[in-house]
Amino acid sequence: MLLQCRIPLADFELELDASFQARVTSLFGPSGAGKTTILDAIAGLRGIAAGEIEINGKTLVSTKRGINLSPQARGVGYVPQEGALFPHLSVKKNILFGAGRGLHAKKTKAFTTDHVIGVLEIGNLLERPVTKLSGGEAQRVALARAILSHPRLLLLDEPLAALDIGLKERILPYLGRVRDEFSIPIIYVTHNMSEVLSLADWVLMIRRGRLIAQGVPRDILASARAISTMEDDTIENVFNVAVVESDHDGGRSKIRTEAGLELFVPYLEKSGGRFQVGISADDILVGTQRPEGISAANVFPGKIRKVESIKDQVVLTVDAGDSFYVRLTPSAVARLGLREETAVFLIIKTRSFRML
Amino acid sequence: MIFSLETWHITFFSLAVGLASTLIILPFGIVLAWLFARKEWPLKSVVETFVLLPLVMPPVSTGLILLKIFGRRSPIGQWLYERGIEIVFNWKGVLIAMAAMSFPLLVRSVRTSFSEVNPRLEQIAATLGASALKIFFVITIPLAYRGIIAGALLAFSRALGEFGATILLAGNIPGKTQTLSLAIYNFVQTGKDPDAYILLGITVALAFIFVWCSEWLLRARKRA
Repeated sequence: MLLQCRIPLADFELELDASFQARVTSLFGPSGAGKTTILDAIAGLRGIAAGEIEINGKTLVSTKRGINLSPQARGVGYVPQEGALFPHLSVKKNILFGAGRGLHAKKTKAFTTDHVIGVLEIGNLLERPVTKLSGGEAQRVALARAILSHPRLLLLDEPLAALDIGLKERILPYLGRVRDEFSIPIIYVTHNMSEVLSLADWVLMIRRGRLIAQGVPRDILASARAISTMEDDTIENVFNVAVVESDHDGGRSKIRTEAGLELFVPYLEKSGGRFQVGISADDILVGTQRPEGISAANVFPGKIRKVESIKDQVVLTVDAGDSFYVRLTPSAVARLGLREETAVFLIIKTRSFRML
Repeated sequence: MIFSLETWHITFFSLAVGLASTLIILPFGIVLAWLFARKEWPLKSVVETFVLLPLVMPPVSTGLILLKIFGRRSPIGQWLYERGIEIVFNWKGVLIAMAAMSFPLLVRSVRTSFSEVNPRLEQIAATLGASALKIFFVITIPLAYRGIIAGALLAFSRALGEFGATILLAGNIPGKTQTLSLAIYNFVQTGKDPDAYILLGITVALAFIFVWCSEWLLRARKRA
């Protein structure tokens, strides 16, 4: 994918030059960075002053070569932030609105309407008016509508932003399934780090219309620049894990990360399946000695690999059987004398883990 | 109360010509309102002002302009006359006067309802492959239909109430160009007050129905 464009905006100029190949590419940055503008430019809903946008070898727009495909001809499925379902049509008519097109159907892995309805679990909503849908249902319907137009690319603009936290955690797995079931590349706009970590395999970090970094999520998001870019100011550790054993009465499950680290998390019914857990960098304690007589079940040794100071905070990268980001105050770092190569113990309460 | 044949004729004539005028201006009004609401083009504000002029100008002035345009001595009137079409002093004059006077009301109402349709919905429809025509008929019109019907009702009521422009362009010829408004004026002038009251009752009833329907539609749109 080639994303090269210059777009003058009211208070700054958006200028982007990136080339990448990924299943899910995240456009990551604070609001007002120009993320939605970029999606609109890819979809052909707004013009670019100069540049070229190319998806899988197909040129959508090129000012040099005088190409500018109409939105209809681009074959790009767009799920805008507000969903933008057609309020006067039923769920069924909404999701089939673009289905006749089949522009790109031959090139993508064939999938049927029923398959999409099944993956997004909207079968029981089909006859409903869209005005009677909850926020999460509306987002799934908007996703289905975009997928069923058989696009060569999906654009998702903060699909979870309007949802409350509980709902977010239930929709996120659907996005993962969309990624895995239909081989349509996705560009995903968000300012939420845990969404990036759990879905994306490439990140473009945008700030005030500029690309300030790009790369693999875990590398990019750990950097100082990432933290100062973020809106909600959270740093999240996300792990792909498998359940090892579950203890219902004890209220906890043992999981294993891809790097082989075993951790205790709140009780999970599912066993065997692979999923993700998250732990905020603010919820991890650091000790220079193994603590005794505490409630936390996860206590394990590690070594500090990196110490980064940003404004009034310090972010440690700790290698403790897997890689962890830990955020501390400068005072705590000074008191414990933490520096690179210091041997430490990480302490995490079972209930501090979040299931993603 | 039993209406005279004349009363029936006047009422039917007014309703028929008013309806025809509304149906004729409806497609033009919808397209123009859409161009006003959705597109940017040179001299747009000038055209907008021109279209709205009859709303504020004295109807008699509009009538005089129409008379000058369609009168037999004007190029257009001449051209039409040579093809056997005469506008002035017959029902076609009534129709054109009604159309000219009610057109701005229709355009204004429909333009507002188009502006209230979220342009994002039209954009997304385009990304889903819908042609401009399909977007217009499947997304924009259905989402604006209440405003369109309300505008048409408003235009129809305005057409029925037309007096100034009609009397200049079509005259006040009983049995030929006499509408409800013109007949009321005529009856009062000739001292036939009871006849005027009957027509007055009819106009009040019609106006009530139209305004009530139009308001109901607009309120329903806000609720939706």
